[in-house]
Amino acid sequence: MRTVVTAIVLLAASSGGCGGGDISREVGARCDTARDCDDRCLPPSDDFPDGLCTLDCQTSDECPVDTRCVDKESGVCLFTCNFTTDCSFLGPRWECNEQNERADQNVKVKVCVGG
Amino acid sequence: MRRRLTTALALAAATASAHAEPSLVSGPEQADQDEIGDQAIGAELGVAGGGRVTPGGLRIAGHYLYQLSHQDWFDGTASFTYGGGEARCFRDRMDTFLCDHGFTDGSSVEISANVRRVFAPRGSFHPFARAGIGVALVRFSGDDVSGLAFPLHAGGGIRARVAPGFAVVAQADVQLGLGLFGHGLGAEPQLGMTVTAGAEFRLR
Repeated sequence: MRTVVTAIVLLAASSGGCGGGDISREVGARCDTARDCDDRCLPPSDDFPDGLCTLDCQTSDECPVDTRCVDKESGVCLFTCNFTTDCSFLGPRWECNEQNERADQNVKVKVCVGG
Repeated sequence: MRRRLTTALALAAATASAHAEPSLVSGPEQADQDEIGDQAIGAELGVAGGGRVTPGGLRIAGHYLYQLSHQDWFDGTASFTYGGGEARCFRDRMDTFLCDHGFTDGSSVEISANVRRVFAPRGSFHPFARAGIGVALVRFSGDDVSGLAFPLHAGGGIRARVAPGFAVVAQADVQLGLGLFGHGLGAEPQLGMTVTAGAEFRLR
């Protein structure tokens, strides 16, 4: 019984925390230049494998659902996660890592970035 | 007396027959009375709705009608659709190019060959059905995506004569077909609708 409850809790936790792959020109699409995106392209690099369309931000209120504003690249929205498997929709080289939140750098948030 | 009565009855019968004629006329003869004529031209303005890679927006259309039979007219149509030009395509994480345009995005130029069948009038209105096939150049400028589409058309409308040789027309149309696009999109379905209204002029 305990095993079943644990499995349900883990499943809920893993499905509840991450964006789950709602890819768009706004956030999540592959890109090489800003022309590929609505706002900003983080070009292909170790931090952003295959490139990532995202939005500039200063607070998470400016980010779409399932994303947070982190202190990278002067503030960008990245997909939230709990485990690396939550980031698999972005590609095999993406991992779930802790980053500083842009608005309060004492606050850590788990987001998908390149491994 | 008897001869007078017979003559009166014959005249009454003839008169009644003449008055009853419009309601007894079958569809083809009523279509003749629609005054589209042997040839006619028309112009219409309306809206087109699309989505994904089917263009939508303001629709301007010109028609050339040529009578084929008592009920049927060839309807050659040239239409232009002017919609928004925002970029809506992107590459997903598998590097597949996808487009998700809105209801009124894109532009197109289309010529189509249709047949219009006019039905028996209902009051002042002449309903008709329309079906045909077209070829269209489609463009979504914001994404630099262009293609060639082959839509099938089906629809209908009503026509009302407002003066000799002049009528107003309103019609709705659905399109279903296939488009061939560049930019890695390939073959994509086309699904849209239009609602237009305009005027028609009899040529002869």
